[in-house]
Order: sequence, then C-alpha cells, then structure tokens
Amino acid sequence: MVRRLGAALLIAALGGVAGYTRGALDDLAQAAGSRDDELLYLPNGKYLSVLSLGHANLLADLFYLWAIQYYSDYERADRRRYVEHVFGSVITELDPHYIDAYWLGALILIVETGDLDAGIRLLDRGTERNPDNWILPYLAGWECYHAKDYDRSVRYFELAATIPGAPTAVRRMKAGLTARMGDEEQALQVWHSILEDPASDELSTKIAQRKVRELQTKVDIRALTRLVERFRTDNGRWPRVLEELVQRSYTRALPRDADDRVYAYDPRTGQVSSPAGRLLGEFGKK
Amino acid sequence: MKTAAAGAQALPRSALPRAQAAIRAIALNTFREAIRDRVLYLLLVFALALIALSRLLSLLTVGNEEKIIKDVGLSAISLFGVLTSVFVGVSLVFKEIERRTVYTLLANPVRRWQFVTGKFVGLLAVLAMNLSLMSLALFGILWLRGESTWALLPGLVLILVELAVITAFALLFSSITNPILAALMTFAMYVMGHLSWSLMLLKAKLGSSASALACDLVYWVMPNLQRLDIKAAVVHGLPLAPGQFFFALTYGSCYALVVLALACLAFERKDFN
Repeated sequence: MVRRLGAALLIAALGGVAGYTRGALDDLAQAAGSRDDELLYLPNGKYLSVLSLGHANLLADLFYLWAIQYYSDYERADRRRYVEHVFGSVITELDPHYIDAYWLGALILIVETGDLDAGIRLLDRGTERNPDNWILPYLAGWECYHAKDYDRSVRYFELAATIPGAPTAVRRMKAGLTARMGDEEQALQVWHSILEDPASDELSTKIAQRKVRELQTKVDIRALTRLVERFRTDNGRWPRVLEELVQRSYTRALPRDADDRVYAYDPRTGQVSSPAGRLLGEFGKK
Repeated sequence: MKTAAAGAQALPRSALPRAQAAIRAIALNTFREAIRDRVLYLLLVFALALIALSRLLSLLTVGNEEKIIKDVGLSAISLFGVLTSVFVGVSLVFKEIERRTVYTLLANPVRRWQFVTGKFVGLLAVLAMNLSLMSLALFGILWLRGESTWALLPGLVLILVELAVITAFALLFSSITNPILAALMTFAMYVMGHLSWSLMLLKAKLGSSASALACDLVYWVMPNLQRLDIKAAVVHGLPLAPGQFFFALTYGSCYALVVLALACLAFERKDFN
C-alpha cells in the first residue's frame, strides 16, 4: 500500500515537473518570437527528392499543406519572405506537375508581396514544365492585365489559347484585350474564329456574334471615313454619295453592315454612321 | 499451429506436379501463417488509417484535393507494403528454423528451393491481398468524391512488383543471416534501389576506368526501384512512354526471380546443424 502510494506520488511529482518545464519552454519560445530566417536553410526540392525514396509527391503535398498554413498566418511578420523559394525551389521541384502550387505561389507573390515579376517567373516555370496546361499562362495573362501590362497579357492569353483543351473564354479574353489595345482588325479575326469554331460554347458564340457585328461596323466605318477624307483631300469636297467612292475608283465595293444594309452617310459633314443611327454596342436592339 | 510441414504431405509422384503441389502447399500455409501475424494487422490498420487521414489532409489544401488523397494513398500503400515485406519476410524462414519445423518439413519429399519459393509465393499473396484492401479503401474515398480510379491501376501493379523484389531480398538475407540483420540489409536494398542512379553521377566524376567499371557493375547489379515508380505519372494523369509499363513489369519480375533463385541457392547451402 505504502509502495503504491509512493509510486503514485513519484509519478505525480514527475508529471508536475514535466508540466511546469513544458510551460516554461513554451513561454521561452513565445518570448523569442518567430525567427525570420527559419526558412533560409530549407533545402532545395531537388535534394529533398533524393531523400524521399520515391515519395517526392507525398513530400510536395506535405510542404504545400504546411506552406498554406504558414503563409495564411497573418500575425507572422516574416511571412512575405522566401515565398518564391518555398513554392519555386522546394514544392514544385519535388513535384514539377503540381499546378496548384504554381498558381497559389504566384498569387501570394503578386497579391501579398506585390512582386509581379517573381509571380510571373513562377507561372513561367510552371508553363515550361507543363506545356499542356493552359491555366498557368491564362493566370499570367490575368495578372499582367491587372497590372495594366497589356502587351504581355495578350501574349499570355495568346499562348494559353493555343494549348489544346483551353476553353473558348481564353480566346475571348485575347480578342477583347486586342480590341482594347486598338488592333480591331486582329480582334475581329479572333471573334470570327470563335464564331466559326463548332467547339465554341453557346455563351461564347452569342458574345462572338455581338462582337463581330460591333467590331465589323467599327472597322467598316473607320475604313469608309478614311476613304471619304482622301476623296476630300483630292477633290476639295465631300463625296455626294458613298457610291461616288466606287465610281472614282477609291474602292471596288462598298461594305454592307451586319444587317446587309448600306452605311448611312451625311454629305454635308462627311460623316459615316451605322444605319438607323444605332450606337455601337446596341446592335442587338431592334 | 499448422505449419508448412503439415501441408507438404501426400504430394504427387511425378517431378513437376510434385514441385508445384509442394510450392502450393507451402505457399498456402505461409499465407495462413502470415495473416495470423499481429505485425501484419498493425501495419494494415496504420495504412488504412493513413488512407482515411488523406481525406482530412485534403481539406487543408487549396486547389485539387484529389491529388493529396491519391499521393498519400499510394505512398501509404507502398511504404506499408515495404514494411510488411521486410518484417514479415525476414521472420518467415527464421520462424521455421527457430521452431525446428523446417526439419520435419525437409524430411518430407520437399526440396529446399521449393520451400523458399513456396514462402515467397505465400508472402506475395499476402502482400497482394493487403495491397488490394488498401487500394479498395483508397478507391472508396475517391469513388465517393466522384473521381475516376482506373488510372491508378498501373501504379499499383508496379508497387506490387517492387514489393516482390523486396520480398525476394528479405528471403535471401533471412536465408544467410539473423532476422535483425536481414531486415536492415533488406531495407538498405530498398534505399539503394531508389538511389542507384547516383552511381552514374559518381561514375561521371571518377576518372579512372577501373572505378567507372566498378560503378557500372554495382549499378547493374543493384535493383533500380526508381524505374518501377510511376506514382507521379498516374496521379497527374501523365502519359507513360511507349512500352514503359511493360518494360518496368518485366524488369521487376525478372529481377525478383533472380534474387529468389539466389535465395534458393543460399538456402540449399545453409547448414542447420
């Protein structure tokens, strides 16, 4: 009985000491705070892959899950450091086909740390290693678009659109952005290709129909206006009717609008407009 | 407990059917014996728990949850399969010697190579059963999520082939040394099998032709288990190179048979006195 009591007391005393020291250690760790260089020595994924003995994918998953927790801890002062290293040199080196890691890493780099170039670098690396994946160049296109780097954005959308399996929405983005940058002829070609593609979804086809009407009218009006102005420079007056442009060999034929009607023309001002005075973007209305 | 000796009685008289019957009897008894092993159940429970845990882990991710489930599931199947083949494999022959049942068994018309082959086939059947159970658990989780599971099958087949190689090594080493050393050596073969490519790097660094030749020799003698690992490809749905699966299957099977033959030879020479 005494022995049992003694043993119980000893166990309780040892448990108490262990509990106290554990609390003291926790306090010390909390007082020290987080070290801002704790990720500095995180080895490159190439080396970790060797140590994984064929389980590199599993290791990549574990690092990815850890990174999500680490970088979503908003109280961590140093959480903006080593993002490119963790996602670019560790996780995606362990699993080069980990698409989620590329885009999430890029998102943290661009949105959280404000480093667009580093984010795009990560997406580029992902695209290089996964040439059949359209999502990464598409995201790069969006990020460049948000950063108002439209030239680069169009290039990424163009690349994404050429990858098999890319939805029509990628081509829509490319067409919209090309038009926004002023190259309406090129944009019109893309919208035509969407319209003629039997694989295009219903929504894209409807949008393409509207855009083709809109852009075709814009392109035609611009071309006719140029001819009218040339006519005036040569003859010192506006043409009386648009047909005069054909009679005087300024053009072989006059374009007709999407409703197969001739464009309206005001000989007093030389202004060409769409029939029925409809405004651009409102062609669907009757 | 019923041992292999009991199953080896009443064998046919002609040579080939007799050998087949002996191997079948020993394999069947090995299977029965192995599925009574607590270590096996412990490993199986851990593996199934880990596969179930993969569903929880996947909740922590951002993006594709199925990838985490597939990665954790395939790795659990592979790792726990290796542990089973090492720990159960090295104890199979040793137990028969320790309990002295091997004397009774070999007193029957059973050749030593038949005994080792029977042990190999029996343990491989246990591993195949375990792999099937773990795969069913993984498939169940994926199926509940509406995911296709067929793409994982080639990866699972090659995991079984890798386990066959490890089991053959476990039997070879347990035929020549004690279980602890045999387990360590088998595990070392597993590690070396996944790092054998580094011998080619070493060879490139070595100038002398003799050293390079030694590297080549070790490279070709050691198993290249990396060649049997297509987990990443099946998880990501990447196409395999033409003939890759067939070559890997043939390479692993032939290698396992060669090691098994060596294990039979080692057991033939073993002195039980």
